[in-house]
Amino acid sequence: MEIHQFLTSYSYGDAIGNEAMEIRDFLRGQGYVSEIFALFYHPRYAGQIVNYLEYNRFSSPGHIAIFHFSIGSPVTKKFLRIPDKKVIIYHNITPHTFFLDFHRILAKDCFKGRIELKSFVDKVDLALGDSVYNEQELKETGFKKTGVLPLVMDFDKFSAPILPVFKELFQDGKTNILYVGRIIPNKKVEDVIRVFYLYQKYFNPHSRLLICGEYRGFERYFAALQDLTAALKIKNLHFTGHIPNEELVSYFKLADLYLHMSEHEGFCAPIPESFYLDIPVIAFNAGAVAETMNNGGILVNRKDFISIAALMDRVLTDPGLKTRLLATQKKALQKYLKEKTGQILLDYLHEL
Amino acid sequence: MPDEKDYPVEGFISASQEIDVNAIMASIRVRIEEKKKSGILRQADIEEIADMELLPLPDFLEVPNVYLPHLYPGQAGDEFHPVHIPPEIEAGAIKKIMASFRKLLSPLSRFMLRPFFLEQRNLFLGLHNQNREDIHKLKQYVPVIAQSKEYIKLMHNALNNMIVEASKLKIEEEMLKTRVKLLEDRLEFLENRERAIEKKVFGA
Repeated sequence: MEIHQFLTSYSYGDAIGNEAMEIRDFLRGQGYVSEIFALFYHPRYAGQIVNYLEYNRFSSPGHIAIFHFSIGSPVTKKFLRIPDKKVIIYHNITPHTFFLDFHRILAKDCFKGRIELKSFVDKVDLALGDSVYNEQELKETGFKKTGVLPLVMDFDKFSAPILPVFKELFQDGKTNILYVGRIIPNKKVEDVIRVFYLYQKYFNPHSRLLICGEYRGFERYFAALQDLTAALKIKNLHFTGHIPNEELVSYFKLADLYLHMSEHEGFCAPIPESFYLDIPVIAFNAGAVAETMNNGGILVNRKDFISIAALMDRVLTDPGLKTRLLATQKKALQKYLKEKTGQILLDYLHEL
Repeated sequence: MPDEKDYPVEGFISASQEIDVNAIMASIRVRIEEKKKSGILRQADIEEIADMELLPLPDFLEVPNVYLPHLYPGQAGDEFHPVHIPPEIEAGAIKKIMASFRKLLSPLSRFMLRPFFLEQRNLFLGLHNQNREDIHKLKQYVPVIAQSKEYIKLMHNALNNMIVEASKLKIEEEMLKTRVKLLEDRLEFLENRERAIEKKVFGA
């Protein structure tokens, strides 16, 4: 039996792409033939990803095809027509309303995605969500056989040391506040900036905000963030753009606190990654964030910016609180162990 | 102690049972109140930050050619049509009856109205000829007027397009400014990085 995966787009550093790659490697390790098929992919992966239109060569009723679904695309049509056993992993679709002011095409694709999701209802053998929150949405859409597959996390990538230059640049006694994720409207990066502004102005002038994430495709949103930054006259704010893994690891390891203000999340991979690296996490309670936090870190239920800034100060200046917080995060991390997730996936697939 | 209503403990933060949420909230409240009392922090500033809205640049697609539908509603179906001048009215049966009736009465009317008739006839013939010439001249101008009307439409359309393009260029300029700002930041970062490398390599 062969187990293949479909994606709409594959880009390095992307959580869904990373998961697909991890699943492929895990399945290959278990002796299965496994490939990834995508509509768009970064040129550097040209040898590893296959165009989805070439799937006919691989297709067979005895094989399993897994579709990582997160947006409307022509891949859906192709996936629905193949004779293989079908599984979707639903990573959630961001409500289109977040993109209306910034990216009309993506708003349209997200809107279409919600409609396409309904077209899977009677045509797939199994629908998995990467969180209970996502599974709940699948059930509400009408899927009968559903399950939860926690995002496959590879923490081995964090074994790399901090780049010496980054140590020199960012380990200078300033408190580093970190945000990791794409610079897109639903992530509410503007709220991260607002909270940091109040924290820097009223609690800790020797602080720095590191915003690590891709902004290409959302230049208008990014420009608005730049305007906000300029209006607030924030010092020590660093947008990294899209960075390779070793740099991301360095930023993580240099961070004193991870701050997340997103208003829609299907999972939120940087949270368990911060847990793994012993970085205290403060995150806004939206979408699947509470579930991903799994009682670790601190969850903020209301966007009271000055209180969040004061909370950051409290976490960073109270060693006892920080220790207790990190202990809760370590406990919460147990559910994301790679071997366990891989085994859950295999158990689901064996039932088909 | 600050008012509980300002910072309600319930619901603002959640954490594991090992974390004393109430104690954290109490300390946060105290810190904020201290800052407010010392005059460093003002409620108006906090509210101003919370109310600041992101102002995205307009999208290219949000700059439509609004004038075109008014110029050519329905597009091709409403393109310019040349002015139609109706042909001269054909004589009918009534005209024939009236002519025969006039023929019968013509000797009398000639006798009664001859001088006036001739005068009027010459006048009307003159006017008639003049009108025919005028109409003929006007007919010659019709294509010119129609062409001018079309040119005016095109000119309005061209002006509108120029305004649309100018708006788009303005948006693009703003985008380029952002990119330049970003490049400046990156350049600064790279310079710092370069210095850090030099420091590491040469131990300066």
